[in-house]
Amino acid sequence: MRRGGLWKKMGIKLYRKPKLKHPLMFVGWPGIGNIGIIGVSTLKDILGAVEFGEIESLDFFYPKRVAIKNGLLEGLEFPSSKFYYQRVGEKDVLFFIGEEQPSEGGRMYGRGEKAYQMANLVLEVGLRFGCKRIYTSGACVSAIHHQMKPRVCAVVSSENLVEEVKRYPNTIVMSELAERSEGEGIITGLNGLLLGVAKSRGVEGVCLMGEIPDWLSGASFPYPKASRSVLEVFAKILGIDIDLHSLDEPERQIDEIVESFYARFPTEMKEEYDQRKSIIQTRSGTITIQAQIYIDERYKKGGEEGGEAPS
Amino acid sequence: MNGIKKEARRGERLPVKIYRTSGLRNPSLIVGWQTQDAGKFSSRVINFLIEKLGGQEAAKIQPEDFFSFGGVRFKEDLVQIQESKFWASEKGNLLIFKSDEPEFEHYRFLNSLLDVAEHYFQIKELYTLSATVSLIAHTHPRRILTVFNQMGIKKRLEGYGLESMTWQGPPAISSYLLWVARKKGIPGVSLWPEIPFYLAAGEDPGAMKAVLSFLDERFNLHLELRVLDEEMKRQGEEISRLRGENADIDGSIRRLENGLPLDEEEQLKLAKEVYEFLRRKK
Repeated sequence: MRRGGLWKKMGIKLYRKPKLKHPLMFVGWPGIGNIGIIGVSTLKDILGAVEFGEIESLDFFYPKRVAIKNGLLEGLEFPSSKFYYQRVGEKDVLFFIGEEQPSEGGRMYGRGEKAYQMANLVLEVGLRFGCKRIYTSGACVSAIHHQMKPRVCAVVSSENLVEEVKRYPNTIVMSELAERSEGEGIITGLNGLLLGVAKSRGVEGVCLMGEIPDWLSGASFPYPKASRSVLEVFAKILGIDIDLHSLDEPERQIDEIVESFYARFPTEMKEEYDQRKSIIQTRSGTITIQAQIYIDERYKKGGEEGGEAPS
Repeated sequence: MNGIKKEARRGERLPVKIYRTSGLRNPSLIVGWQTQDAGKFSSRVINFLIEKLGGQEAAKIQPEDFFSFGGVRFKEDLVQIQESKFWASEKGNLLIFKSDEPEFEHYRFLNSLLDVAEHYFQIKELYTLSATVSLIAHTHPRRILTVFNQMGIKKRLEGYGLESMTWQGPPAISSYLLWVARKKGIPGVSLWPEIPFYLAAGEDPGAMKAVLSFLDERFNLHLELRVLDEEMKRQGEEISRLRGENADIDGSIRRLENGLPLDEEEQLKLAKEVYEFLRRKK
């Protein structure tokens, strides 16, 4: 069977086949604070990357929207899983952006056979174009104060990448985070699973996770402040300057909401929490649970807890 | 070539078991769901049809690819099992399907459903049954809102008093099935009778009667629907008694009867009180 036929059977559709030389691949799915997907989508938009393919949704997702007009079914809309490409200086770049993580039994984050299949399909396309390295991105839930600049916590697929990621701006490897001094944990969901699948097929992988305060990890709104930190690292990787003003307004709006929760903390709790500004990287304690009480119900995320953050 | 043959050619296991295929000639397929079943409308209509028409078990979709089996569900103290079964009724020339909504592989499940119906029974059209929860009083007539997947079947069903739905949002499985049917060229309609919101947690014989009357007329079934008239009468009398005992409930229902809205608290109270009252009287 020709590759095109095989790919069609696998559910991969490529509208064009750009000539790329060992492209870097940036991958984003939704997760806690949507830190990763906002980072990857923003980079894709800033670079004006061109859509060139997709993974068919039918076998992975329940439709997200139906349109019915005057008694006639007009259509169904499924979550998209799309590929883009762009040349940045001397570097070729691939993007994959999935609107939803395929999962079993209505879970929010990818797991099970479908998630594994999806990770392999994404990688398949990367390999087809000679990709040697994949970057995924997500959230690192930590004991950071919301008024501080989030750092980027990295997990890599091989020892030789550690020194490289330590040179990225505002970036630490996970074992440098006080709560994670053993450097152990699990990156749940596809942002983690893809790295494992890539490693098993000889492709380098780096997961860059923007810090989000532990007490905000269950909130339903995005956390663009951490996406900005991740984007600054992406810019360094690509050796370019990028204008991140598109994040200014969303960041201001979210800051306003978060400050309104913070303003309702009792004095004693606020004092304890504010110590995070001077003694950063303390283990998260009771403050986490207590502070979540001050998030309005309407801002709490439904469904399962957790996400792509290390656990 | 139909879907089943395509699947077989790919060497995939067919997730179906066939018991009998004879007796029907290009039947109409009626599909009901027993999960998320407001007013138990869909499952009760299907059970009513199977019983009154003497439906014979004809096929089933094997559950293991589509359900989690993480335990067993029970409802009103009774263990419920996931079933996805077809019944054949020569009366009315109907193929009837009842199932839980699948937990996984929705697209493959819906394809399998229609593949069986097409390949083994050569169905000519599809009817799906779901209910829409509405801010109406139980004393109001039940409209049947409809969604068609082709203009042709919409035209054919003019004159039955059906009303057109307009809506955008997350799709129910009936809409998804209708969409898959259109991809396969099978004309279909989803029937969405209105159910007063305060009967949604219990039962609504009024919605059943409305849809069964439509199906009766459409397929010349000669169904005896008096039992539903009696059920509606009994339910109406019980609710009248509650209205007599509780001025707030009476006021809320009166507002609905006059086409006036209720706030969230009033809706919750009405739904809870009516449900509890009818349950105690059962």
